[in-house]
Amino acid sequence: MHPVDTMGQNRDGAEYGFAFLDEDAKRELRRSIFKAVCIPGHQVAYASREMPIARGFGTGGMQLTLALLGPDDTCKVIDQGADDSVNAANIRNFFALTCPGVTGTLRTEGASVIQTRHRIPELKLRADQILVFQVPYPDPLVVVEPNAAKRRRMHGRADYARLWVKLYEDMVAFDEITISHRYPTRINGHYIIDPSPIPRFDVPKLHQADCLYLFGAGREKRIYAVPPHTDAVPITFNDVAFAVESFRDKTTGKRHVCRRCGADDSFLDEFLDNDGARVFQCSDAAYCDMRLERLEAAK
Amino acid sequence: MKPILDVETLTRIHGPGCPACLDVTGPEHDTNICRHCGSVVAVAGASLRLHKGEVLGIMGESGSGKSSLVKMLYFDDKPTSGRAIFHDEGQAHDLFALNEAQQLRLRDMRMGMVYQNPSLGLNFDISAGGNIAERLLMSDELSYRAIREKATALLARTEVPPARMDELPRNFSGGMQQRVQIARALSTGAPLLFLDEVTTGLDLSVQARILDLIMELQEVTGVSMLVVTHDLGVVRHLTTRTIVMKHGRIIEAGLTDQILEDPQAAYTQQLVSSAL
Ligand SMILES: Nc1ncnc2c1ncn2[C@@H]1O[C@H](COP(=O)(O)OP(=O)(O)OP(=O)(O)O)[C@@H](O)[C@H]1O
Ligand SMILES: [Mg+2]
Ligand SMILES: [Zn+2]
Repeated sequence: MHPVDTMGQNRDGAEYGFAFLDEDAKRELRRSIFKAVCIPGHQVAYASREMPIARGFGTGGMQLTLALLGPDDTCKVIDQGADDSVNAANIRNFFALTCPGVTGTLRTEGASVIQTRHRIPELKLRADQILVFQVPYPDPLVVVEPNAAKRRRMHGRADYARLWVKLYEDMVAFDEITISHRYPTRINGHYIIDPSPIPRFDVPKLHQADCLYLFGAGREKRIYAVPPHTDAVPITFNDVAFAVESFRDKTTGKRHVCRRCGADDSFLDEFLDNDGARVFQCSDAAYCDMRLERLEAAK
Repeated sequence: MKPILDVETLTRIHGPGCPACLDVTGPEHDTNICRHCGSVVAVAGASLRLHKGEVLGIMGESGSGKSSLVKMLYFDDKPTSGRAIFHDEGQAHDLFALNEAQQLRLRDMRMGMVYQNPSLGLNFDISAGGNIAERLLMSDELSYRAIREKATALLARTEVPPARMDELPRNFSGGMQQRVQIARALSTGAPLLFLDEVTTGLDLSVQARILDLIMELQEVTGVSMLVVTHDLGVVRHLTTRTIVMKHGRIIEAGLTDQILEDPQAAYTQQLVSSAL
């Protein structure tokens, strides 16, 4: 976050800029970030660069993170809540290699920049933290309008009736809105964004947050932002409440808790244990570990 | 009688256009194609007035410019020149001077269109009710229950069985598709409707019922309509006044009964006699 144009060297001794990208690329990215922050929810086009990993594996998020990192930053990378997936580890190693001085961390509270795929951490993020999302599909209108030029005009006019028609069709068919991920969310009363494949559970965290949320779609070459203290409202009908996953047991009505740390307020992953029983565990590994540590310490 | 729509010398030329286009096309030249530049003069200098609550017919042979005229008024196409004033809720909207957002706002809330081809007026990928819901949502109705109730009532009014409301109109008969289009066009209570060959291609008995339905709805709502057709039966059934177009020009205008009984232009005489 304090970009310093330190130069580094790669293994062959050739020079490359701090944080892999050349200074022009970083400048352009930062300009696009400013623009995205100034027009909350608006998809800003930018010249997506080639990254040494395949598009579709978080290149949009990586470019944002690289443009943000300075040598005194602490960086965390999460994939579906966990820090230890191959994808997250690869990206973290890449940052370590190309950003001398930047420390990696697994702890949410210790990170200044967090790059994430498909989750928002459970710990409330602070004003001095930035969350960077990896976005596969930036435009929520793509499901109702194939023509990109028309979509841009629809965004400009806030012409979103067709997104609500999708909700209507859902209500007709299932008596509820069934969208589980990528829930269309209206930012600052105008633009509707695709908040990336986060679960519904995370959508309320976008609203009036202290931190900055940045979204990067590498393949689609778009950046957008939900700035701090900005309204972020999942779209719905006046008489149909937006509801997050409740994790309630269908028979007892009681909320499931994490089998590791006992959390009853986190997003839970469900799986079968060795005996074939259904168990639940925090999807946010850092949150789960933090709670365990505290429990240990309290003993 | 108060006007709802004033169209003044509306012109639409497809192609590069040249200074001679208007002089070398029209009924007296028996073509709408400019021999100098090859442009198609789809509509030239068309002026008309539609009164509140009136049903005005637009007849003419194929290619005479009927659809072109209506498409411009519904913002499906832009005129080359000319004006149209839409008098609505105490305001006079200079239609082609408005910006795109203002135009679409009027189109979504204050106008309705029923096309000959239902796939132009309906989204075949969403249910019949969803097609109505879309227009209600455009007009900022955001209560699911209200939308559901209104859509049910509108479809009932156009005789679409409630049981079919949640089906895709893709699978409907042609007549049923037109009923859904009519319900959609009426859904926001717009005061101005455009109907372009809405019964063409349907069975005669279905045609008759849909024409009756349009008449009934017009009487109940008092909506003003521009009805494009080359079917004299439709004109006779629905309209009190009619204009006749040929090669992009309006060549005759008057009371429908008079035009059908005592056509002045030779062309109209031909149209009327060929239909008998
Ligand atoms: N996009 C276009 N490009 C070129 N010419 C066009 C275009 N659209 C319409 N035309 C021409 O404009 C003229 C008027 O067409 P229009 O569709 O308005 O006729 P119409 O009276 O509605 O005929 P029909 O009864 O067959 O529907 C025709 O000669 C047509 O070929
Ligand atoms: Mg036509
Ligand atoms: Zn010409």
